[in-house]
Amino acid sequence: MTMKKIIISFIALSALLGALLSGCTDSAPSGPTPGLGGTTVTKYVAIGNSLTAGYQSNGLYESAQLYSYPNMIAQQLVTAGAPLAAFQQPIYSDPGIPDPLTGKAQRYEILSFTDPKNPVIGPKGSTPGSPTNSTLARPYDNLGIPGIPLAGFIDTTGTYQSAPLGRDAILRWTTNALLGKSVFRQVAVLKAAGQTPDIVTFWLGANDVLGFATTGGTKPASPTSTTTFAFLYKQALDTLRATLPNAKILVATIPDVRAIPFFTTVGPKMAAGIPAGLYLRYQKHGNSGLAFDSTRLTESSAPLITLKGSAYATLLGQKTGKWYKDNAYPALPAGIDTSQAFGFHPQNPWPDALTLDAGEQTNAIDYVYTFNATIRSVAALDNAGVFDAYSFFNNIKANGYSIAGEKYTADYISGGLFSLDGVHPSSRGYAIVANEFIKLMNSKYGMSVPYVDISKIPGIPMPLGKYAAGAKVAPSISLEAWKSFDALWGSGF
Amino acid sequence: MIGTAVAVGGGFQLNEHGARAMAQGGAFAARASDASAMYFNPAGLGFQKGRSFYLGTTFIMPKSSFFGPLQNNSNEETKMVDQTFTPINLYGTYEINDQIHVGIGVSNPFGLGTEWPEDWSGKFISTKIDLMSFFITPTVAYKVNEEMSVGAGFNIVTGDVKIRRVVSDPFDPHAKAAIDLSGTGYGFNVGAIYKITKELSAGASYRSSVKLDATGSANFDPARSVYPIGDASASLELPATAFVGVAYTPIENLEVEADYQYIGWSSYDKLVVEFKKDGSKTESPKNYRNTYILRFGGEYTMGDFQFRAGYLLDRSPVKAKYVEPLLPDANRNGMNLGVGYKINEQFSVDAAYMFLKFDQRKATGTEVNFDGTYNNSANLLGVNLSINY
Repeated sequence: MTMKKIIISFIALSALLGALLSGCTDSAPSGPTPGLGGTTVTKYVAIGNSLTAGYQSNGLYESAQLYSYPNMIAQQLVTAGAPLAAFQQPIYSDPGIPDPLTGKAQRYEILSFTDPKNPVIGPKGSTPGSPTNSTLARPYDNLGIPGIPLAGFIDTTGTYQSAPLGRDAILRWTTNALLGKSVFRQVAVLKAAGQTPDIVTFWLGANDVLGFATTGGTKPASPTSTTTFAFLYKQALDTLRATLPNAKILVATIPDVRAIPFFTTVGPKMAAGIPAGLYLRYQKHGNSGLAFDSTRLTESSAPLITLKGSAYATLLGQKTGKWYKDNAYPALPAGIDTSQAFGFHPQNPWPDALTLDAGEQTNAIDYVYTFNATIRSVAALDNAGVFDAYSFFNNIKANGYSIAGEKYTADYISGGLFSLDGVHPSSRGYAIVANEFIKLMNSKYGMSVPYVDISKIPGIPMPLGKYAAGAKVAPSISLEAWKSFDALWGSGF
Repeated sequence: MIGTAVAVGGGFQLNEHGARAMAQGGAFAARASDASAMYFNPAGLGFQKGRSFYLGTTFIMPKSSFFGPLQNNSNEETKMVDQTFTPINLYGTYEINDQIHVGIGVSNPFGLGTEWPEDWSGKFISTKIDLMSFFITPTVAYKVNEEMSVGAGFNIVTGDVKIRRVVSDPFDPHAKAAIDLSGTGYGFNVGAIYKITKELSAGASYRSSVKLDATGSANFDPARSVYPIGDASASLELPATAFVGVAYTPIENLEVEADYQYIGWSSYDKLVVEFKKDGSKTESPKNYRNTYILRFGGEYTMGDFQFRAGYLLDRSPVKAKYVEPLLPDANRNGMNLGVGYKINEQFSVDAAYMFLKFDQRKATGTEVNFDGTYNNSANLLGVNLSINY
């Protein structure tokens, strides 16, 4: 054989072997395929409060609303093949809704990180945005109304959708008559227009306890009564089920207040700043004057300090009456002496409004527990699926949320899941919530909707500068900035 | 983070060190009859004559796909970016006298890389990694008698690694991390060949583990001051490996060999990268297990030509829980073909082709919470030039 023939043979043989064997590559493995499992999904509607509207960092603005959990659920439904029309939300262009007191956009931003452990956070003072689709000729698909308690769903008098001041800002632009006086009415209108929802998520009830908790048990002095809550929840879900007998209804339980960074951020930082031998003297529930308890903030029965307390944590030990001045007290309450060390002397105690003492915590926990029992039992009767947000967020607080090489936690800012107000999730936090609703949908209805890819969701915009990762970050937010936040739970202004 | 890469031997080991041996499944320790003996079995030098160079490279073209991640309820395919790798092998031998032979070799026994699309769902684990190590091996062999030879070599090792991934922190935009490290280490290898009969020979060799202390820098973009920007270091132990083989000449002009190669991967239990700026460390558990490769090959001489074929079975050192996109490893089957041609007394060429097929690997319950299935295969082409002078 000539050399040429041999070389050609070798090349041919190798090529043949290569072609043969390359064909031997594996086929795609079996795995989840996007699909609806034969379910019809032509309309999805979300009912809820600010958590549903896509509120973040004390504001409602377009770039956050894009990442509301209902919007993300809708997108995933479309990926699974649902012929959904564009999901309509009451969009407010960036930087979002105005603070009625100042007229400027009320959302919090990171203003400065000069002190990495104590970033300055608050509204930037920007010109607010404006509604971009307020003339939609039908009810929105996202019926999340910031601030409404459970009663707001069926209430027709407009108690929860118009004044006081805070909510007008959000609802003023939803001027079309359709979103008139009750959220429930919108569902009825959709049905009458031949747009009956196939899937409904219903997440209400958090505001019934958060107003109490975020104001340190002062405004209101108690969560919604459990009997009222049970009555309203049954009424709400029964009505919804009666109107939509064939819809897939998904509800969610209310998270434990102790699982969110609003309550768990300032306390540990303050604890580190209490000198040996001294105790924090604080007002207990219902006290405005001298009555106090004391703590090192490290005991298991220690009070929780709300995020609002961060503005005053730095004043511990000083001879200051700033709290009373900021809150425009006409006169100091009986017994208060602001020439004493703030927080360390019984006559200048740490205020009740910034504290969730052990009794208030137990109260909040008990109410949430009972509310959730109601939610579960009513859901069972009305054949609604339940996303157990209570257990879910408790688990994140205890163990974090690990996925694709990352671990998110419930820590303020550094954990990645909560926005700057310490209550509302960040875009990534909402993505995780969306995925839990999707998992529920998939398991309960035999669907195979793919989850949101959290790695694609943006984080909090941040100016370049120092930042202490993993450290317990406590912000500096002025009391003024919190007023619009309080409005959300019915207690502001 | 560093040090793991797709590769064409179990873990990130490479076993392509000469087209002649490659064509025979790398079953060469009992014969080691060319200069690549400096890799397979230094004792082989003892039976060689004269002076020679053996120079070559291997073109490695891996193909990899990931299906998932299951954490996103997804079975979507992500294809690894196509890359071609060219580990080299250069050997020079010199006969001092009939009994003593020396040589020096340069090869890449560990290396390669993986690259995934920059914005893929595994970007917080890895987007790109490149690992390369050079072994410079001065070797000496001593022919004890016509039946037996022993050899030893000293390994001077350099290693280089580049890691790229995306950092997820609470802020926007995601920062990109780039870690570049290099280091040196030392090791040795020893071997012996015993010609039991004219037809039958046995060989064994051992190469020690090499501890590489690598230093370099970590950079992040945007350069937020929370990140440990600046000097970084990592320590990596390249595993020890041992070959045991038997070669047989059943008929004239035909040699066949079977080898068992053991690799002590259990020394690679975790990978720690330290950052000088704040003394922080990232630690990722690897928990590799000791493993082996079975090699079979043969060579048929016909005039100026030699035709070769081989097969290898390579067991993965990576346990199921630790399979990740940095190194999507699995058990492998390699099918080899090759040819050698003697041009004249001075020159000959060898060419080899290998198709390396990985088992499809489904990884669930992974340490990095990134479950899914990996499909892998690779085409390899080796060429070598042999010069006797």
